[in-house]
Amino acid sequence: MNALLARHRAVLLAYLGMIVLLLLTSFVSQGFLSGSHLRTMAVLSAFIGIVALGQTFVIIGGGIDLSVPWVLNCAAVLVTLMANGADGPLIYAIPIALAGGALVGALNGFGIALFGVPPIIMTLAVNVILQGGILIYTGGAPTASAPPLIQFLAVGRIGPLPVVVLIWAALAVAATLLLSRTAFGRYLYAQGTSATVAEFSGVPTLRITVLAYTLSGFTAAAAGVLLTGYTAQAYLGMGDPYLFTSIAAVAIGGASILGGSGSYIGTIAGALVLTILTGLLPALNLSNGALLVVYGVVILVTVSLASDAVSDFFAVIARSFGRRDNAQS
Amino acid sequence: MELIEAVGISKRYGGIVALSRADFRADAGEVHALLGENGAGKSTFIQILAGIVRPNGGTLHLAGQAYQPANARAAEAAGIAAVFQELSLVPDLTVAENVWFRREPLSLIGTVRKRRERDATLALFERYRIPAPAPTREVRRLTLAERQIVEIAKALSRDPSVIILDEATSALPPRETDWLLQLSQDLAAEGKLVIYISHRLAEIRQIAQRVTIFRNGATVATHDTAAVDDETIIADMLGRRMDRLYPPRIATATDRTALKLRGLSVGDRLADIDLDLKEGEVMGVAGLQGHGQRELFQALFGVSRSRGAVEVWGKPIAIRSPRDALVGRDGIALVPEDRRSHGLLLSKSVRENLTLSVVPRFTRFGFLSRSRERALVDEQLRTLQIKAGTPDQMAGTLSGGNQQKVIFGKMLLTQSRILLLYDPTRGIDVGTKGEIFRLMRDLAAKGYAILFYSSDLPEIVNVADRVAVLRNGKLAAILSGDDISEHRILREAMVEARAA
Amino acid sequence: MTMTLPSAAKPVAKRDGDHARDRSTWLIDRAPFLIACGMLAVLIAIYGTLREGVFSFEELNLDTAAAMTLLLAATGQTIVLLRGGIDLSIGGMISLGTVLAATQFGGSPLQVAFAAVMIALLGFAIGVCNGLLISVLRLQPFLVTLATWSILSGTALMILPTDGGQLPDFWMAFGNASLLGVSSSVGLLVLLVLFWVWFRSTRLGIEIRATGSNQRSAELSGVSILRINLLAYGLSGLFAALAALYLTTQTGTGSPTIGKDYILPSVAAAVIGGISLFGGRGGMIGTIVGAFILTIIGNLVFVLQVSSYWQPVVSGVILLVAVLASSLAEKSARRSLS
Repeated sequence: MNALLARHRAVLLAYLGMIVLLLLTSFVSQGFLSGSHLRTMAVLSAFIGIVALGQTFVIIGGGIDLSVPWVLNCAAVLVTLMANGADGPLIYAIPIALAGGALVGALNGFGIALFGVPPIIMTLAVNVILQGGILIYTGGAPTASAPPLIQFLAVGRIGPLPVVVLIWAALAVAATLLLSRTAFGRYLYAQGTSATVAEFSGVPTLRITVLAYTLSGFTAAAAGVLLTGYTAQAYLGMGDPYLFTSIAAVAIGGASILGGSGSYIGTIAGALVLTILTGLLPALNLSNGALLVVYGVVILVTVSLASDAVSDFFAVIARSFGRRDNAQS
Repeated sequence: MELIEAVGISKRYGGIVALSRADFRADAGEVHALLGENGAGKSTFIQILAGIVRPNGGTLHLAGQAYQPANARAAEAAGIAAVFQELSLVPDLTVAENVWFRREPLSLIGTVRKRRERDATLALFERYRIPAPAPTREVRRLTLAERQIVEIAKALSRDPSVIILDEATSALPPRETDWLLQLSQDLAAEGKLVIYISHRLAEIRQIAQRVTIFRNGATVATHDTAAVDDETIIADMLGRRMDRLYPPRIATATDRTALKLRGLSVGDRLADIDLDLKEGEVMGVAGLQGHGQRELFQALFGVSRSRGAVEVWGKPIAIRSPRDALVGRDGIALVPEDRRSHGLLLSKSVRENLTLSVVPRFTRFGFLSRSRERALVDEQLRTLQIKAGTPDQMAGTLSGGNQQKVIFGKMLLTQSRILLLYDPTRGIDVGTKGEIFRLMRDLAAKGYAILFYSSDLPEIVNVADRVAVLRNGKLAAILSGDDISEHRILREAMVEARAA
Repeated sequence: MTMTLPSAAKPVAKRDGDHARDRSTWLIDRAPFLIACGMLAVLIAIYGTLREGVFSFEELNLDTAAAMTLLLAATGQTIVLLRGGIDLSIGGMISLGTVLAATQFGGSPLQVAFAAVMIALLGFAIGVCNGLLISVLRLQPFLVTLATWSILSGTALMILPTDGGQLPDFWMAFGNASLLGVSSSVGLLVLLVLFWVWFRSTRLGIEIRATGSNQRSAELSGVSILRINLLAYGLSGLFAALAALYLTTQTGTGSPTIGKDYILPSVAAAVIGGISLFGGRGGMIGTIVGAFILTIIGNLVFVLQVSSYWQPVVSGVILLVAVLASSLAEKSARRSLS
C-alpha cells in the first residue's frame, strides 16, 4: 500500500489540491457549487483536458508540443469556413479538420524523430508558420459562425451531462487505457525515460514519436472544432491560452516535464484545478493579472510538493521523529 | 612517514550501510593497492578521502593532522587528487581547458590567458611524459582511453601528495598502461602516495608494496604484496575460497555457421572483416582499445552504419537498426558496454526492463497481458538468479552484477541465438563474473553462438574457444586451441605498432 | 620471442592525422554559425536590391535599433541556454520592466536613473529566484520559468492593465541619440560584443558552458551548480530588464503584454545562431546574427509590401532550415569522425 501511495503521490496530491480548492472557493462565493456552475466548469475543463490529452502523450514521450494554439485555431477556422453555418457540410468538414490536425502532428513527429530537430524548435516553428499561414489566408478577418450541430456538441446536454464532457470522458478512458494497458503506452514511457535505451532495446522509436505528436495534433484540432461551438464562431487567437494551460495541466498532474512518468488521470486533475482557479476570477473580484499570478504560484507549489527535493525533506523529518521514538523506548 | 591513517570509518546512506568499519594506513612514497569486490566499499572510502562524501563515523588523519574535508575543493587544497572511473571531463571544452578547469591562469581583467594555459599543459605532459592528445582538441572528440589520460593529467596538474587511481588502466591500451604503471612507481619514488585500485592482480604485484582488502564495507586485511599469494587475496575478497573463476571449457561448437561476415567495414575504423561464428561456439574478440572492436559490435547490432555482407544462419540480412537485429530466433542480441545509459531504464522496474524488447510477446491486439508478462519475468528471474526484492523494484537500485543479469535476461527473452557481449564483466564483482562465465558456457552448450569482447585479457584466454584479434581495424588473426595465450594475442595485436 | 616492456610513450603535441581532422572538425563545429552568417548575407543582399541606401550608416542605425530589444533579451537567454536551461520568464520581466518604467519614471534625470537601476536590479533578483527554485527544489527550468513568467506577467497587468504610462522626453532622446553618425544602439551593440568577448573567457563563462556541457563532470570538478544557476538566471533576468528599458526608449509607453513577443524569438535567435539547446556549445556572436536575421525578415516583409503575416512564416521556415542544417552537419560529423 505504501509503495502504491508513493508512486502515485503526485496525482493524489493534485486531486487533494483540487478538492481543497473547491471547498475554499465554495466558501468564498455562493452558488459556486451549484449545478449550473459545476456544469460550466466541467465544460471549460473539458476543453483544456482535450488539448492536454495530446500534450500528455507528447510530454510522457519526452517531448513537448508548442504548436497546439494554432493547430487548434486552424481547425476552428477550417471547419467554420467549410460549413459556412450549415450542418450538412460538417460530414466532411469535421473529419478534414481533424485529419489536418493529425497531419500537422505527424509532420512534427517526423521532423523531430527523423531529422533530429529539437521538439521545442520544431513545434514552435510549425506554430508560427501555421499562424502566419492562416492569417494570410483569412486576411485577419473573423470567419463564419459555427453550425448548430457543433454548438450543440459544445453547449448542449444529454440528460444532465454536457455533451462535450461526455466526449471528454470517452477520450479520457481511451487515453488512460492507451497509456497503461497497451504496447504503445509501454513504449512511450520507455522512450520518455531514455531514448537511447529504447533504441538499443528495439523499440520502434520513430513510430512512437510520430504517433504521439499525431495524437496531439488531433486533440488540438478536436478542441478547436468544439471550441467554435462554445464561442459560436472561430476567432483569431482563440488557441493562445491553451498552450500554457495544456502544459500546466500536465505538470500539475504530476508528470515529469522530461518524460517517462505521469498519467492522464493526473492531467485531468490539473485541468480541473486550472478551471477552478479561473472561476475564482469573478468570485474574488480578481483581475486578469491577479489570476496569472495565482496560476504561476499554483504551478510552483504543486510541482514543488511533488518534487523529490521536498519528499526527501519530509523523509528526513519523518526519520528524525522515528529516531526520537526509538531513543525513548 | 605515515601519510594517511583511517580508523573505523563508517558511512550509511539512509538504511544502506556502505562502510561499516574501514581501516587504512598508508605511507608517503608508497604504492598502496586497494582491492575488493564491487559494493565492498572501496569507492565510498576513496570518495571520503577525496572530500566528495562525508563519513558518519571514525577518524581520519592526513600527515598527522585531523582531516575532515568539507568538500572536494578542500581535499584538493589538502593535496589529494583522485582519478575516478566516472570521468570529470567536460566534453565541449578542450584538453587544456579541462586540465586547468577552475585553475586557469588569468589576466588582469579576469580572462583566461590561452597561450599560457597551453604552454603549461605541454609542460605538464613533458614533465610526466604523458601520452596525451593535443591540448587544443575538444574532449568530446577523444576516445575513452584518451579521455582517461586527460583525466590523469588533470589530477597530476595539482601536484598532489596523494594520488588515487580508481581502475585507471581498465580503459587503457597496453602501451599507455605500462606508462601509467611506471608513472605510479615514479610518483612513489618522488615521495608521493599512490592509492591504486584495480582488479588486475598482475599489475598490483608489479607496482604495489602493500594491498588492503575490503569486504562488505569493512577492511578485512592488509598484506605485503610480495608475501601473499593470489588464493589468499581472493579468499579475503570473497570470504571464502573460490575454486575456480572460469568454468571448464567443453567443446560445444558444431559445423553450422551462425554468423558469417564477409568484408564488413565501418567508416575508416573497421575494414574488411571476414569471420565465421559457429553454433555452440564462444568466440572472443581481442585487440588494443580503439582498434575496431566497438565498431564491429555496433555494426552487427545496427547502431553503426556498415558495408559488407552479413549472413545469419545462412540467410543474408541487412542490419540498419537494433530493430533489424532483434528479430527473434534468427536475430542478434547485444549486451551493451554501458549498462546504465544503453542497457537499462534505471527509473523503471526490473519487470519493465526485462520485457522491453519483447513487448509483442505478451501483447494481444495492442493490449498488454499482465499475466503473460509476469510468467516471462519470473522465468528469467529464476534462471538467472537475479537478486531483486520484487520484480517491481527500480532497476537503478540493483547492484552492478544484478543489473547486468537483467540485461542478459532481457536479451535472452528475445530468443536470439546469436549473442554479442561487449565487456560483459566490466565493473562486476568476482562472484557474479563467475556466474556470467558459466552462463555463457551453458548457453553455448544449448546451441547459442556467442561473440564477446573483454578488456581483460585473461578472461578471453580462459573463456573463448577461438579468438579473433583486431589490429588497426583489420582482422590480424584468428587463434584457436593452444595458440590462445596472452602473449600470442598481444603480439598479434601489436606487431605492426612495433615495426614503426 | 620475449615480451619486453616498450618504453613509455612519448608525449604527443600533434599527430599527423590530427591536422586534417582538426581542420574538418573546426568547420563542422562552426557549421551552424557559418550557415547563419550565410543566411544573413543573403537576406541583406536581397534587402539591398529592394531598397536604396541599405549599406549606409543610417540603415545600420535603424536596424540595430529595431533589433536591440531582441538582442538584449537574447543575450540573457543565450547565457541560460549555454548553461543547459531555458528562461521563459523574460517575457514577463520585459513586460514588467516597461510597466514599471512607465509608471515610476518621475521627472528628474536623477530619479529616472535611480529607477532604471532599480529595475535592472529587480531583473537580476528575479533571475536569482528562478535559479534558487531550480537548484534548491530541483525543479525543471521549463516549468519554473513558465510559472514565474505567469507571475511576472500578472503583476505587470495588475500595475498597468492596458498600454499606457508616460516616459520623460530625455529618456526617449537617448534612444535616438547619435554620436558622429553612429547611433546609441550601435554603441550598445559594440558594448554587447565587448561584453561577450570578455565574459566567455572568464572563469564564470567557462564554468557556465561546462555545466551545460556535462553537469555531472562540472560538479565532480568542484563547480557549485547552485552558484552557476543563480548567476546564469540572474544575468538573464538582468538582460531582460535592460531589454525592457531599451524598449521604452523606442516606444515611449509601458505595455503589460509586450514581453510575450520576445520569449520564443529570443530562443530562436540563439538557435539560429548556433547555440545548442543541450547546452555547452555556441556563442553570442551567433545570437547577434540570429537576432539580425529575424529583424531583417521583418524589414523585407515590409518592403515587399506583402501581408505582415508573412513574417512569422518566413521566420519559422528559416528557424527550421537552420536547425536542420546544423543537425545534418552534426550527423555527417559523427559518421566521418567516430
